Amino acid sequence: MSPAQQGHGPWSGVRVLDLTGLSGAYGTRVWAALGADVICVEPPGGNPIRNMPPLAPGHEGPEASLWWAYYAASKRSVVLDSTDLSDIDALVQLIASADVVLDDAMPAAQEGYSWLADVGEAGLGVSGIVERYPHLTWVSITPFGMTGPRRHWRSSNLVAWASCGLASTVGFPHGPPLAPAGEIGVLMHGASLHAVIGSMMSVRARNLAAAEGEPALGQTIDLSLQEVGLWLSPETGVPLYLDDQVPRPRAGNRRPVTSPMGMYPASDGYVAIIAIQPAHWNAVAQWVHELTGNEGILDEIFIDIVVRREALEAVDAWVEELTTRFTKQELFVEGQRRRIPITPVNTVGDLRHDPHLEAVGWWRPEEHPVLGTYTVPGSPFSTDGDWWAWQRAPMLGEHTDEVLSELT
Amino acid sequence: MTASADRRPLAGIRVFEISIAVAAPCCGKAMAHHGAEVFKVEAHSYPDVARAFGSAWARDPELADVFCDTGPYVPEMSAGKRSVGLELKQPEALEAARRLLATCDVFLTNFAAPGIAELGLDYESVKQVCPDIIYAGMTGFGVDPDKPYYPFRAFGPNQAPLVGWDALTGFPHEEPAGIPSIAPPDYMGGLHTMLAIVTALHERDRTGEGRFLDISQLETTVSFLGPYLVGQDLGVPEPFRNGNRVSWAAPAGIYRCAGDDRWIAVEVPDDEAWEALAGLAEWFDVPAHDAVDQAALSTYPHATLADRIANHDAIDAELSAWTSRRSSQQAAAELQALGIAAYEVLNHTGVLADPQVHDRRPYSIAPSPRLGRDLFVRNPVRMSETPPYVTRAGPNMGGDTVDVLTEIGYAHDDVDRMVADGTAFVDARPEVVLERPFDRWYESVGIAEFYDAEGNVTGGAQ
Repeated sequence: MSPAQQGHGPWSGVRVLDLTGLSGAYGTRVWAALGADVICVEPPGGNPIRNMPPLAPGHEGPEASLWWAYYAASKRSVVLDSTDLSDIDALVQLIASADVVLDDAMPAAQEGYSWLADVGEAGLGVSGIVERYPHLTWVSITPFGMTGPRRHWRSSNLVAWASCGLASTVGFPHGPPLAPAGEIGVLMHGASLHAVIGSMMSVRARNLAAAEGEPALGQTIDLSLQEVGLWLSPETGVPLYLDDQVPRPRAGNRRPVTSPMGMYPASDGYVAIIAIQPAHWNAVAQWVHELTGNEGILDEIFIDIVVRREALEAVDAWVEELTTRFTKQELFVEGQRRRIPITPVNTVGDLRHDPHLEAVGWWRPEEHPVLGTYTVPGSPFSTDGDWWAWQRAPMLGEHTDEVLSELT
Repeated sequence: MTASADRRPLAGIRVFEISIAVAAPCCGKAMAHHGAEVFKVEAHSYPDVARAFGSAWARDPELADVFCDTGPYVPEMSAGKRSVGLELKQPEALEAARRLLATCDVFLTNFAAPGIAELGLDYESVKQVCPDIIYAGMTGFGVDPDKPYYPFRAFGPNQAPLVGWDALTGFPHEEPAGIPSIAPPDYMGGLHTMLAIVTALHERDRTGEGRFLDISQLETTVSFLGPYLVGQDLGVPEPFRNGNRVSWAAPAGIYRCAGDDRWIAVEVPDDEAWEALAGLAEWFDVPAHDAVDQAALSTYPHATLADRIANHDAIDAELSAWTSRRSSQQAAAELQALGIAAYEVLNHTGVLADPQVHDRRPYSIAPSPRLGRDLFVRNPVRMSETPPYVTRAGPNMGGDTVDVLTEIGYAHDDVDRMVADGTAFVDARPEVVLERPFDRWYESVGIAEFYDAEGNVTGGAQ
């Protein structure tokens, strides 16, 4: 039983059909844990996320992917075969019973679903579907949107970062552009959050209209991955470039604006330091002086960020004399105590054992019938209410009978 | 358009925003585009960095007093918001803020918890004036003073290293490149906050009760590492930065094209796309790459994804040789014609020339009190019946103080006195209307939809 089936959470009673992969999975994970009945409609071979590494060691098959184990939490799984007429009929009934559908099929597919033709509706596009079911919000998450000359072009997290201008600014000057955070898929997470926020607003507006006796609107939402990238990229192009005409080239992990600014080596990795304000610089200089006896660094002339830029190599070397003596966590704790904007460059392993996350009780054990017991991240934010209900990810088709029997 | 005719989903919702930089402002901006009335409460004694940045072309000392209205982050983050100038460290200003709060549905801040408490705007205090308030507090490390990082300062560009994103950005044989010039963690924090606020509004519709939302950016952004964090207990090796490669597709990468600093991103997720790529007639004619000891495609196994991952270096060398003899646009068009995900790595000028951007116009131009009109990004959630928009670009700092305070019951005389004694402030010299250097270019660049003060789409040249 999903949290929604138990009537728990602020979104209980709202049904969401998730037909997406990575571009919807994170947002619907959050929504499911907030009580929505999120049903993943999967083909007999399973959602492609089920094949994505990392896999749990020693496991293969549809339950092995840790992407699925994480992103499908609190959802239900229904397997429907698009070549089976009774399954198509079931999908149409499911759509009719849903409040929201999230769909990542390419625009050409979404504009002419043939499975509706098979049950007597001639090739309805998504706008036709919401006309027929006006209580419904249908979210199309596509690479470049449902309109425009490149609507049929394909994409991915990496390709979307390229298409919004942001990748061009990430990386070293001598090397190629880079996707931020690599395969973590930050842009896909962002798309899924936009999709869910839009759906939530649409459902709420529909409910308020219904309470006033007004007819339901039946919305489609056209969400383009390229535009998701543009929304979070003012730093790299429009409108900042239009205004100052200053290109944003790749500058690596130190910014030649002043020192210290960027990544510095610790004894066990790296830390990131940003010292622009005089107070921050003074704290850095004092710390270097205490440790190394360096008198020159206390000279007032270095309070000027321009002087530090001109003496960049020397100042960087002085700072490195400090940073290389400690671990990144030591530098973080002591630097923050000294009010310096400094953070460790954490790895996944560091974060799994981070003392703050441990102290706030963030981690949660989860039991899975195939994968066993493991620890998963807690809720992404908290409230003073009883909002969250987490369940393990569903096994392939685990809820097919349950959901189909609810329909009849 | 009258308020009653405005069917945008957040029409009628009033938001009190006290914020800095990106994280909370981008949440407030998304709410404004979807119809909320957002009051950005600002002070000269602790200005938002968006005000401090200004614009390079506006550094004339004669413009010092209006410099704060010229930065491109002002429309980008605050288009559609109203700016209320209140020096909250003064008791009378705090009282005015409380009266405004009493009319609001949402309180939104990303000030550090100790700072917001010092201003008298912690949850308990706000709840006293507005019992059903939805209070969204965005912090670096939560609101519990007993937890280890509570007193630490979160600072935009330092967030990505902290939460593991920087260590995963770069090539395995190099230092992490990180993402120091951009701030995706702030935007992701803003989106989580908006999701929480809309959920709380939905809950309040039923219960009539408000909510305290504790959005700690550490947890929201570390959440994106989920599969890898889960793997730590199961014996999965720690992930390491791997350029632009991914574990589930090969080839995946960014490849050099003809021209100076021109690149293309390509990702080949499955056998079908790979066969299309391998079928390119010229593929087999590629001369051996000087720098790489590589075999031709026909001499190494590539039938399965595992084969392609194992031979990724060799594939990259061949694909690079192919892309380097084409322009990035030409290579992208050829690959997309085969159904392969590929795109030119657009830079700042590339976005301005992009055909899809020209067709869909993801930017807005709307009236601006300081700049005549101004440009900023639209909200990407394009709702068919209630599309997002705003009717005004960035507000002048303090430009709405008089209107807002009189709307909540202050007499004009009282407002004048508060402005005179420095409790409140209005915008400097509203009669000074500047023009961005590229204003005249807006019609021809064709990336933006023009809106008038009623929210109607116009053809431009307002």
